[in-house]
Amino acid sequence: CRQGSAVVSRLAPPQQVRLDADKETQTLSVTWEDGHASTFDVEILRTELMEMVLNETVGVTEDQSTGKHQWNWTSPVPLECTSLSVKVRSRDGQDVSEWSSQQILPGLDLPDNTDSQMYPEGKTVPVGSNMTFCCIVEEGQQFGSLWYKDTLVKENMLSRRTYATTMTNQGPSNPSGTNVVCSNEKKMIIAGAVVFVGYPPLPSDLVCETHDLISVDCQWSKGRDTYLFGMTRQTYYTLNGRNCPKARNSNMRCGLEQWDGNWTLVARNLLGEFRLTDAAELGHRVRPVAPVNLTTPEVYSWNASVGWLWKDKVKSLNGCLSGHQTYTGYGLNTVVLKDLQPDEKYSVKVRCGSQKNFWKWGEWSLPLSFQTKMDRPVAPDIWLWMDSDNLGRVLWKPLTKSESHGQISGYEVILWSPEENSQQTLTLPRSVYSLPINVTDRGSKVTVTARNPAGVSLPANIVIPRYLPDAEDTAISKVAFNGSGFPLSWVAHANASCGYVVDWYNTSCTQDCNVEWIKVAADNTNTMVQSGNFLAGVRYKFSLYACSSESTVLLERWHGYMQELVPSRTVPRLSPNQEGADVQLTWDQIPLEHQRGFILGYTVYLTNASHLTLLANITDPQLTNHTVRNLVLGSYKFTVKAYTAAGEDGGATVSISLEPYTYWLIMEILVALGTMTCLLIVITIAFTGFSFSIFTILWKTMPGTGLICVCFQGTLDVKPSPHSMVHIVEDSVWDSSKEALVTVPEEDEEGTGDEAADTDEPASLRYYNQVVEEGSSSQRRPHASDSSASSTGSMDSGHTDVTYTGIQTSACYRPQMQSASCPEEPQTGPEEHLQPPVGSFGGYQPQCSWKQDSPEADGDGLDQTCLGSPTSVTSSQFLLPYDTSEEGKEYPSSASTWFHNLLTGKP
Amino acid sequence: MSGHVKNMCPQLTISQAARTLLSLLLVAAIDSVSAGVVCRKQPCGSSLQRSLKLTKLIHKESVDLLKTYKLSQGDMSELFCQMSINNVPDPNISGLDPSERMLSIYSHCKAFLPHLKRVTEQQTDLQPPSSSLLSKLSTAHNRTNGLANQINCIYQTLFPNLPIPPEPVDGPTSVPPSQNVFQQKVYGCVVLKRFKEFLSRVTRELRTLKSQVCTRRTTFADTNALF
Repeated sequence: CRQGSAVVSRLAPPQQVRLDADKETQTLSVTWEDGHASTFDVEILRTELMEMVLNETVGVTEDQSTGKHQWNWTSPVPLECTSLSVKVRSRDGQDVSEWSSQQILPGLDLPDNTDSQMYPEGKTVPVGSNMTFCCIVEEGQQFGSLWYKDTLVKENMLSRRTYATTMTNQGPSNPSGTNVVCSNEKKMIIAGAVVFVGYPPLPSDLVCETHDLISVDCQWSKGRDTYLFGMTRQTYYTLNGRNCPKARNSNMRCGLEQWDGNWTLVARNLLGEFRLTDAAELGHRVRPVAPVNLTTPEVYSWNASVGWLWKDKVKSLNGCLSGHQTYTGYGLNTVVLKDLQPDEKYSVKVRCGSQKNFWKWGEWSLPLSFQTKMDRPVAPDIWLWMDSDNLGRVLWKPLTKSESHGQISGYEVILWSPEENSQQTLTLPRSVYSLPINVTDRGSKVTVTARNPAGVSLPANIVIPRYLPDAEDTAISKVAFNGSGFPLSWVAHANASCGYVVDWYNTSCTQDCNVEWIKVAADNTNTMVQSGNFLAGVRYKFSLYACSSESTVLLERWHGYMQELVPSRTVPRLSPNQEGADVQLTWDQIPLEHQRGFILGYTVYLTNASHLTLLANITDPQLTNHTVRNLVLGSYKFTVKAYTAAGEDGGATVSISLEPYTYWLIMEILVALGTMTCLLIVITIAFTGFSFSIFTILWKTMPGTGLICVCFQGTLDVKPSPHSMVHIVEDSVWDSSKEALVTVPEEDEEGTGDEAADTDEPASLRYYNQVVEEGSSSQRRPHASDSSASSTGSMDSGHTDVTYTGIQTSACYRPQMQSASCPEEPQTGPEEHLQPPVGSFGGYQPQCSWKQDSPEADGDGLDQTCLGSPTSVTSSQFLLPYDTSEEGKEYPSSASTWFHNLLTGKP
Repeated sequence: MSGHVKNMCPQLTISQAARTLLSLLLVAAIDSVSAGVVCRKQPCGSSLQRSLKLTKLIHKESVDLLKTYKLSQGDMSELFCQMSINNVPDPNISGLDPSERMLSIYSHCKAFLPHLKRVTEQQTDLQPPSSSLLSKLSTAHNRTNGLANQINCIYQTLFPNLPIPPEPVDGPTSVPPSQNVFQQKVYGCVVLKRFKEFLSRVTRELRTLKSQVCTRRTTFADTNALF
């Protein structure tokens, strides 16, 4: 604040200072008189708090007419917010006058104005502008807070009751404006204001045109959203000074009654205005009105004429568009529509444009419907399918809408003799598309025609092809579906003057098959067979015929699947056939309709519970048998599955229980008995002079086992086969009246190290206990640790049978020594040596846990284990039942089973 | 002469009867015009039930209307309805006996109509033309007018000897003078809030009136029928 000089100024202070406020624009106008200067100091204070708002030196010239000085100031704060004190003094360089008397512009926060208020209210400002809002608190209340939208803003105190905040860079408002509210200390709203923040209008793309060569129709784009709504804030438009009341929302158009050639559009709202201009000649902006009164004076099968009328001057225009065809001509009012379809309903509408200086197409006329007349149908697509030498079916495809040219009333079939001198004519209703025929003469021809109310079609002819059953197929190759169809290609045939025919049908169909066909032009040697009737898992046979006027010749055949699936059923008639230790499985091929794919082969599995072990993969689909070799006795399940490219079928399963080959055994026994008889006779004759007796029993090797079991009694020193041994066993089912002498397969003795020493013995006799204990193996008594104990245990069982007495041999007898190393079955592959399922055979096992307890047995040498010279031996403890548990698995051979069964009389 | 006289008398009688009938029709027409609505004779229960259904509908719509209104007024508008505004009809229904309470309902309906109209006008200048608020305000105005007419008819039916006073019994509640935009927003919110409260009370009141008035009149009619 500049202070005045102590020297008395020669300048007089301004007089009659007056304040005028324009609160809407927040402008304060200060006027004074008697300044006699052109420079003045102006000082503005907030009256209540005496805060300086403005202290500025301004240049103001005197208005010569009134003799007053006037200076305007725009307050950033609404003038209602609080009272302002204004004083002015004259300045001439450093010389200043005294201050004028202070003038006060009263605010609305004076005590007599007790209500809460907020300013400014309802103002419209451009986006990005800054504004100061003030809240005058009601007398007696305490100010709380100021909110702009939903944001708490910082306030400044302008007076005892007035608080203000300044918002900068305001964003666009919503339609009802931005709320600014003031609350008291109780957070109750006491006052508020609304400000509308938006944009001035910014339209674009003004285009004016005429529809009737007289008036003007202008359109433009609204452009940027103003964010301002309501009667006072919305945008108003004028075109060449005339209001456009219908220009609202998105309908930005305005019309004038006369063509001016130049147009100016003014868009205006509270924030500003924008001007757009356009200029054009009348003939360059013609967009004709729609033609009226469309008529069809002439309608035929393949064409029709359409006429229309014009309004006013538009008839002098050139060019019209009808439907999707363009016709031109001066004053065009009728056109002929070509390339129509007979018996078809059409709807036509017309729009026009100026051919010269074309601007835009006019509006469409109302549509006019008409129907073309019928015409005779096209010749049907026919084919002849031979079911046998003389029987066949004439087939033809239903005519489509575009082919029938009207409602088909029926078909006529003519069967010609080879010389075409006789014919047989049949008339069929429109719903029939095939006719069975009996052809006796080769070279016969068939003619089919279709009929509708407009006439008869051209004849469709075909020469009856020769019937070729499948057996005569020289070559039928596979064709794969490629996703859209079956691609077929072939070598061109010289005698295909009228092209080729490819027909196809379901191969497994035997009667009244659905035959489809396509015809291929003579110059094509490939085609793609497509049909909506193709089904997955169905084999189709495709036949290619060369067509000529004289004959129809089969050229080639294919078959294929749209999609291969796994067979829908298992191989039929699966049966096993035992051949000694082998089993031959045989089966039939799956019927074609169940194959659902090309059978690629078969897989043979051994089934054990739910587990399948692959035995063989037969890749020849024609081979329908398989032999599983080297099976041991027992029950087996075999599963045979056919497979296609999609996978295997569910599998057919068959069971077999292997049994000794009875007839061969009987034969061998008889031979052995005969041999023995002969030998006895020879010995009797040869040793007549000697005083000794011979008692011999001889068994010959059992089939498949190579086992010889020999027992001698007497002084004859005959060394038995090192592999000979005797097993005496009892069936798992106790039968005290029967005993079983079972040969042990040679394989059972092999592969165990401990057994090697035994095989060196002259005679290795092994005894199996015949004690049969009821119950499971877990209930079985522990293996005897000595013979007496075993005997006792055996006796205790109550079922002990003293099974063997008097087996004597020249070799010393050695009881079983395998105490800790019980021989186990050698593991073999399923093919080489298959084991029956566990528990499939009940029997006895070697006395694996036997231990010597006699003093003689304590010796190390084998000799010490001998029981002495051949003597009568009585034992009741050397035979143990087979253990079916995991430890000590041992199964009798097929021979032993057979022999056991033979002796016990079982089949 | 006598014959002539005899001939004159029937003409006179017919003329008088026609005049009387015409007078009655005129009175009835004037009465209907004065009431502003043509009422059909309906049983007490059904007419009240019909009004009750209409009231429930308007009340349900008024809840949605107030919600829409608040959403359309910008931020902090939830607090607008808490501000005090003068000259907005009170939602309370006054009166001691059924006739007075029914008259109070009618008067309130009539009183709310100009306020609803004013709010509609104000919001037309604040909302886009496609705003659903404008259509809902218009619907509320029309339905309230219909409800007022129905109440009028019921009142005339139930209390034929009690005239409807020309002015609302609760006193004039004229629409406010010019308001700034913020005041308009607050005003509209208060009007719609009280309108909703009023309809809630009307619903209860009509239910009570139906059980009181219609039962009593039915009983009275039945009693008369016995004699």
